[in-house]
This record gives sequence, structure tokens and C-alpha cells, in this order.
Amino acid sequence: MMTEITILLVDDEAAFRQALSRRLNKRGFNVLQADSGSQCLSMLNNHSVSVIIMDVKMPEMSGIETLRQIKKKYPDKVEVILLTGQVSAQDGVTGIKIGAFDYLTKPVEIDHLAEKIKQANESIIRKEERIAENAFREKVAHQMAAAERLASLGTLATGIAHEINNPLAIINESAGFLSQILARQKMLQIPCRKEFELSIDKIITAVERAGKITHQLLGFARNGHSDYTRVDLPELIAESIDLLTHEMSNRNIDITTSFDPLSKEIMTDPFQLRQVFINLLSNANYAVGENGRISISTANHGQEVAISIQDTGPGIPANHIEKIFEPFFTTKPPNKGTGLGLFVTRNIIDKLGGSIRVDSKLNVGTTFRVVLPKCLEMQIKAFETENSATDWISHIKGESYHDKNSD
Amino acid sequence: MIKIPIKVLVVDDEKDFVEMLCLRLKETGEQTSFAYDGETCLDILAKSDIDVVILDIRMPGMDGIETLQKIKHDFPLVEVIMLTGHGTTETAVEGMKLGAYDYLLKPANFSELQIKLNGARNRKDEQEERIRRARTKLLLRKSGDI
Ligand SMILES: Nc1ncnc2c1ncn2[C@@H]1O[C@H](COP(=O)(O)OP(=O)(O)OP(=O)(O)O)[C@@H](O)[C@H]1O
Ligand SMILES: [Mg+2]
Repeated sequence: MMTEITILLVDDEAAFRQALSRRLNKRGFNVLQADSGSQCLSMLNNHSVSVIIMDVKMPEMSGIETLRQIKKKYPDKVEVILLTGQVSAQDGVTGIKIGAFDYLTKPVEIDHLAEKIKQANESIIRKEERIAENAFREKVAHQMAAAERLASLGTLATGIAHEINNPLAIINESAGFLSQILARQKMLQIPCRKEFELSIDKIITAVERAGKITHQLLGFARNGHSDYTRVDLPELIAESIDLLTHEMSNRNIDITTSFDPLSKEIMTDPFQLRQVFINLLSNANYAVGENGRISISTANHGQEVAISIQDTGPGIPANHIEKIFEPFFTTKPPNKGTGLGLFVTRNIIDKLGGSIRVDSKLNVGTTFRVVLPKCLEMQIKAFETENSATDWISHIKGESYHDKNSD
Repeated sequence: MIKIPIKVLVVDDEKDFVEMLCLRLKETGEQTSFAYDGETCLDILAKSDIDVVILDIRMPGMDGIETLQKIKHDFPLVEVIMLTGHGTTETAVEGMKLGAYDYLLKPANFSELQIKLNGARNRKDEQEERIRRARTKLLLRKSGDI
């Protein structure tokens, strides 16, 4: 079935408009009417029209002038067919130069007009397709450029991070040594002791901050290989929580977990996935403040597993949501956050073949949802040759048949 | 109680780092020596009595992992703490599998290092104690035979 074509008929002669409109209606077109160029323009603002049929000779604004304005405002959205008098065919030629699809002389032969309308409509559809295709191509090119940039950034980052870690370590030990000296018995009474202590403290804090950045960068830059093994998901999550408990211990934070037994084991890189959990959990931990709840749950979805990390923090404002995955975007004070956590997290998840999504409501909380394949197709193939793993693989594959709550 | 100094060998190709870390460890009463590469590290271990080696994983020439393997092969009782620049811990974990006592990220927190040093020394003492007891038992049995 053909989708209905919407036509806008522009003519100052009401009788002509009514008659033509009725005939086009009969042929299945959806017809709107305007009695002048300016009404036509204003109707285009709030109607979706594919083809305009317009008289050239109109008082006030002529068809040619209206055409000019239409083409300026909607270069690819609507086609215009001009209707000219017998004696003024020259107007039609001018119109085509400006961008009219075609022109017909009055009186119009209805079959001919209907045919032209269909052609004009197809032309518009093609234009739209071309625009969509170009946009898509541009997006892909953009993504590829970004991926390449990331790859070379990765190599560069590893190099730099390593080179920077050593001088950082030297600064760290030197400042640390100074504070040890200050702690000597005979140094207790020296002048300006407070100032010395203050400066040393600042150096050590700054080194810690820089160290955090280099460690995050190194974590992300391990582009090359991932070590896939069978990972016990609840265990890995519990382990990640443990690693953060000393940060949480003196506050009243309630952590709950709920694990879907159907997705207990997955095939993935435990080191990288642990980094993902640590990053997401430490964000949640920071967000909930003094009192709050963090809940972590897993849900089985056929050959994938969804892991949600939900907090009762302040939520993320709409104008930040787009930026949180960008490198160095942070709302934390400088020595508290690098703004690399989520950037690294997303990169790792991409590498592991999964996806991450965020839902956030101001004053209610934030949920990060990570979806991971239980096993990459590639791995299944590699492991199927190894007898030891086949049972487990078929177990995983089998699960998807019993799965009832996939969405 | 008198503190018994831990005999620490610091191994890193970064000379300034080695110098400063040794100063700090001396300040807290440890006994330090140092090496800038894996070969020298093994030489020192052959000549002197060391409790714990602090070993950088990334070194030119013989790298940390290789050095660790040789240490554990030739001097199984000496404990090793690895230093790594990696955000992820895979190399360090590999090191642990090869028998390292623990690892630290660089730049390291000194009090964490101290805790690990003490842990490493204790483990070494326990192991030496076990060996001593086993030997004594063996000796007693032998003398009983006569
Ligand atoms: N659970 C959350 N609740 C509210 N805001 C969040 C949450 N997670 C992330 N954000 C926002 O996203 C920003 C970026 O997070 P990201 O983890 O990338 O960096 P960071 O946490 O600021 O720094 P770092 O990870 O080094 O500590 C945060 O500064 C914060 O504004
Ligand atoms: Mg973070």
C-alpha cells in the first residue's frame, strides 16, 4: 500500500482550488489549500507537505517569489510544481531554474498532474534517503576517526603514564622523606614547622592525584589483549565491593546484592571487569554521601547478562548526562576525581562486547546498567575445540532456552 | 621492644627513586642495600643476607618478572614485593603466582609499603623456623639411630 501523499494547493482562485482539490482527493491524495504565497509559507511551518502545486500568477506574492522562499527555507523537504497560463510559459522556465520540480500549463490535465505529483513525491523520498545516508556515513566516519584517535591515544597514554609514574614516585619518596625528617625528635621545635608540613602535605596529595590519573590511563590503555576466563560474577562483584569497603566503612551505607542464578558464570576478562565494577561502585559510593543505599543486581537475558548498579544519590542533571562518559569530565574537586572513571569503563565494556546505559532522576538516584555477552561467539568456537569447556558452553547456551524473563 | 631491622634490597633502574626509598627505609630503622638492575640484584643476594627485595617490574635488560623467577629459584626464602606502574594488576598477579609476597602500585603509599615489608619478613621468619624445626627433628632422629 502506498503511503498517503500530502499536497498543498496554492491558488488565489477559490473555485479552481476547490475543483482541483476534489479531483485530487478522489485519486487518493491528501490535499491542503492556501489562497496566497504567504499563507502557503506559514502552513509549511506546521504541516508536513511533500508536494506543492502552485499558481504562478497570484496577487501580492507571486508564485515565483514564493518558490524562491520555499527553496531557501526547505531546500530538500518539498517539491514544487508550478501552474502557468498558456501565454506565460516563460515563468515556468524561470521557476525550474530556481528549483521547481516541473511546470504545467493551465488548464491542467488531471492524469498528467497526478503522474507528476507521484514523480515529485518519489524525488523527495530519494532526497531524504540520500540525506539520511550521508548523515549515517558521516557518523560512521566520525566514529572511526574517534576509534583511531583512541587507539593512538591509548599507545601514547601508556607511554606517557609510564614515563610520568617514575618521576612521580621520586617526588613522592622525596616529600615523604622530608616529612620523616620533620618528625625527628630534634626537629620538633624548628621555625616555620607548620609551613613545611603544609607544603609537604600538598605535594603528597598532588602526587596521589597525578598517580590516580596515570593508573586509570594505564588501565584503559591495555588495548591489545584481554584474558578471557570463566568468571564467577557474584564472586567478582563481592570482591570489588570488598576493595571499596574501607572507603565506605565510616558512613552509613547500605549495600545490597541480588544475583540471578541463571547468570552466575560468564566468560570474560576478570581484571578489566573488576575495574568496571570498582569505577561504578566508587561513583555510587561518592554519590550517596552519608546515608544511602547501593543495590547491585544481575539479571539473565538469554545469552547476555544485565548488571545494574543503583544508588540513592542526587542524580545526574540532564545537561551532564551526555558528558559523563567523556574523558576528564568531572564534577568532583580536583584531588577527588580524574573524570576518567566512566570513560575507561565504557572503553572496557566496548572491548568486552557489551554496552552501558545510564538512567538518572534528580533527587532520586542513578542506575548504571551494563549488558555483557555471557560468552563471545568467537570464544565459543575456540572453546568448542577444547573438550573441557564444551559442557559449560552448552550449559550457557542451554540457559537461553529456559529463559523466561528476557526483554 | 627493640625493633629488629628488616634487611631490604631495593631494585629499580631509577636511581633517584632508589636513593630516596633507601633513605626513608633507613629512617624507619631498616637496613638497606640497592641495585639498579636484575643481575646486580642476584649478585648481592648471593653475597649478603637479605630478607625482602623490593623489585620494579619494568626494567631494561632482565625485567622484573625474570629477575623474580631467578630469585625464587636461587634464593627461595627471600621474599619479594613487586612495584608496578600498571593500573590493572595483571603483571603483579603473574608475579604473585611466581611466588612474590605482594605488590604495590607506583607511586606507592609508604605506610602500605611498611605493612607489606613487615608481613614479608614475618613470612620469611616463619618459613625459616619451620625449616629449622624439620632439621632438628632430622638430627634427633639420626642421633637416635646411633
Ligand atoms: N552514580 C552517580 N551519581 C551521580 N553522578 C555521577 C554518578 N556517576 C558519575 N557521576 C557524574 O559523572 C562524573 C564523571 O564520572 P567519572 O567516574 O568519569 O569521573 P569521576 O568520578 O569524577 O572521577 P574518578 O572516576 O577519577 O573518581 C562525576 O564527576 C559525576 O558528576
Ligand atoms: Mg568515578
